[in-house]
Amino acid sequence: MKTLYQDKFQSVEEIKNRFEEAKYICSEQIATCVYIAHNLQKPVMVEGPAGVGKTELAKTTAEILDVPLVRLQCYEGLDESKALYEWKYAKQLLYTQLLKDKLGDLLEGATGLRESMDKIHSHEDLFFSESFLEPRPLFQALHEELGCVLLIDEVDKSDHEFEAFLLEVLSEFQVSIPELGTIKATIKPLVFLTSNNSREMSDALKRRCLHLYVPYPDEKLESKILSSRVPDLPEILRKEIVSFVQDVRALDLKKVPSISETIDWAKTLLLLHSEQLDPAMVKQTLNVLLKFETDIEGMRDHTMSFINKAHKRSGAQ
Amino acid sequence: MQQTLEDFYKVVRAAGVNISPSDSIETSRTVTLVGYRDRSILKSAFEVSLAKSLPEQDIVAECFDRFFYFNAFDTIEQLGHEQKNSPSANADEAVPVPKDEYKGDQPLAKMLLDRDAASLSTEMKKAAREVGLTDIWFFTQKSLYSQQIMQKMGLRDLQNEIAEAGKGECPGDGVGDALREAKDYLAEQVKDFVEQQLSMYGKNAARNLREEHLQSAKLSNVEQRDFHIMHHLVLKMAKRLSTQYSKKKKRENRGQLDFRKTLRHNAAYDGVLFETYWKTKFIDKPRLMVMCDISGSVQAYARFLLLFVYSLNDVMTRIDSYVFTGNLIDVNDVFDDLPVEQAIDYIMDKHGLGGSDYGTTLLDLEDQCMDDIDNKTTVLILGDARNNFLAPRSEVMQLLHQRAKRVIWLNPEPENFWKTGDSVMYKYRPYCHLANTCNTLEHLERMLDSLLKSATGTV
Repeated sequence: MKTLYQDKFQSVEEIKNRFEEAKYICSEQIATCVYIAHNLQKPVMVEGPAGVGKTELAKTTAEILDVPLVRLQCYEGLDESKALYEWKYAKQLLYTQLLKDKLGDLLEGATGLRESMDKIHSHEDLFFSESFLEPRPLFQALHEELGCVLLIDEVDKSDHEFEAFLLEVLSEFQVSIPELGTIKATIKPLVFLTSNNSREMSDALKRRCLHLYVPYPDEKLESKILSSRVPDLPEILRKEIVSFVQDVRALDLKKVPSISETIDWAKTLLLLHSEQLDPAMVKQTLNVLLKFETDIEGMRDHTMSFINKAHKRSGAQ
Repeated sequence: MQQTLEDFYKVVRAAGVNISPSDSIETSRTVTLVGYRDRSILKSAFEVSLAKSLPEQDIVAECFDRFFYFNAFDTIEQLGHEQKNSPSANADEAVPVPKDEYKGDQPLAKMLLDRDAASLSTEMKKAAREVGLTDIWFFTQKSLYSQQIMQKMGLRDLQNEIAEAGKGECPGDGVGDALREAKDYLAEQVKDFVEQQLSMYGKNAARNLREEHLQSAKLSNVEQRDFHIMHHLVLKMAKRLSTQYSKKKKRENRGQLDFRKTLRHNAAYDGVLFETYWKTKFIDKPRLMVMCDISGSVQAYARFLLLFVYSLNDVMTRIDSYVFTGNLIDVNDVFDDLPVEQAIDYIMDKHGLGGSDYGTTLLDLEDQCMDDIDNKTTVLILGDARNNFLAPRSEVMQLLHQRAKRVIWLNPEPENFWKTGDSVMYKYRPYCHLANTCNTLEHLERMLDSLLKSATGTV
């Protein structure tokens, strides 16, 4: 079995190719960032609008490195017991009930409270051992013997307290559990933090990470992504879809369509056996691309001109 | 190479990105890893490790393009050729370079006559480092540095050579002229180079100087063209103040068991108390109500006060903003919907420049907002209290004083004007917890610092 850092990537180019094989088309900057992160074992803070493949990046990285992915979804109110570990109270309770008789055996011959106490103390602290510990994602990630990719998703949704706690984990890759002592990662996990910028993260956290901003892709990249994700799509239609979506992004919308929506739309059009964009079809399927009624309404005036432009650019008609 | 990297960090720092020593160490490691072979990869590497946000990423990219841009002496081949085209010069004489005729061993002269752009550029950078060009920060230093660099490169010897070569020759002929021309070319290139460097290293220095000046300048004297710098300054200030004070504080009262909660949650364990719950206490964010006078008498200040209120609105959630001349007008929606300049223009156009009437404004306040004002609210009034000899209605101020946590009055006029003319400040003053002169940004910041401190109860 290979560990996380056993295979070093030779170059940025290699990462790009490996990503491509795993059907994740990335820009040079993303590849460079992963290269640095893997070689220097630094966490990466990935920012960008929703649906540009931030989470996918971590998943694909885990895939090409052939290590498990441990995911921690952040939300308001997330605390240590949900992120790190928890004691299995019910199991502890159940075991004390089951072992009542055994306790009686154990204490046989002891007279007085002090002597019984001493007898119990002479045994190990069984109820606070790892078998009664419910591991949560962070604990799991530290415990993974071959290393893993740890994805801390939407870290901006968590509270300040949790962020401070995360600092300790990310700088030392160790945590202390009062009952068990300090637990240190055998192999540092490769950490990806994603953020939608719903709040500014603290400088201290940012400083520990590489900063990667994933923007909406340009026309060329999007076309490449589309051909990798929806390979059956006819070329003309692909070009038209990309041109159309790029135009839509320039509009002032409540929710701008991202790559995932482009892919969904392409799949929809493929399912409906379209060869080219035509106004009726676009109108019917626009709800795949745009998620707000007001946005769809606002698009109505532009649809025709965008379609014509797309036709022109794809070289059809 | 380390020196080059450090120079680059200096440029990025000058452009306003904070780079801590640990950042620079990490980045140097990163650079060692990716190497200098591929320009675009190196650029991405700098971007991901130096920048901490998207705007910073753009700054780093821009700095990279400028810093690693080598064009010095790339026009050297054209040197001398210009003469060929000009009708007055004789084509045969001017070029090619009379290399053989030059017998001296002065290195600079050799390099120039050999058209050796690479060595010239290296020499220039070496000289620049020796004279400490990275410390340049103001445009008046340009010629000083250019001169120093030329001297280091051996200008004096070159001049001697020129004088030497010129002896016994007709003007417009031979080595002397070629050298003279090359010298002018060199001077031009060095000047260009220094200018480039100034635009990188001096970018922020000049701005800092300007900002420093603006901070202590009277708000009424600040010119319109500095408005965007002011906006930047005010926003920075408002942000600092708000992050410092607007944090919701949750304090756990360790030691006080919340019995009801604990029992309720442990019913599942047969009443055995496995999980304990402690009583917690929330300290709420302060509530701020701002009233800003925008009448004719405070015209010079109004824009900046509005700017400040806008910025505060941006960074604090629990704030109500009003403007007034004769009536109290709620401007929360305008601030939420429009960008800063438009919002201010809109407010000034629509409501501004009347004669102020503090009396009716206070009555409006009593009507509309008095119910919302409680002992957690801080009321901030920005205005000069020039009431145009109308009724001051100080009884409302008295009520306000009793209800609100704090009433703060910031007056752009100095204190000895408060009793002159139509100012009714002296009547309102007893009902303010704090009344102060405030006509520079520094005043404003100091005032608000103390205001927010007491509003959040940290003092």
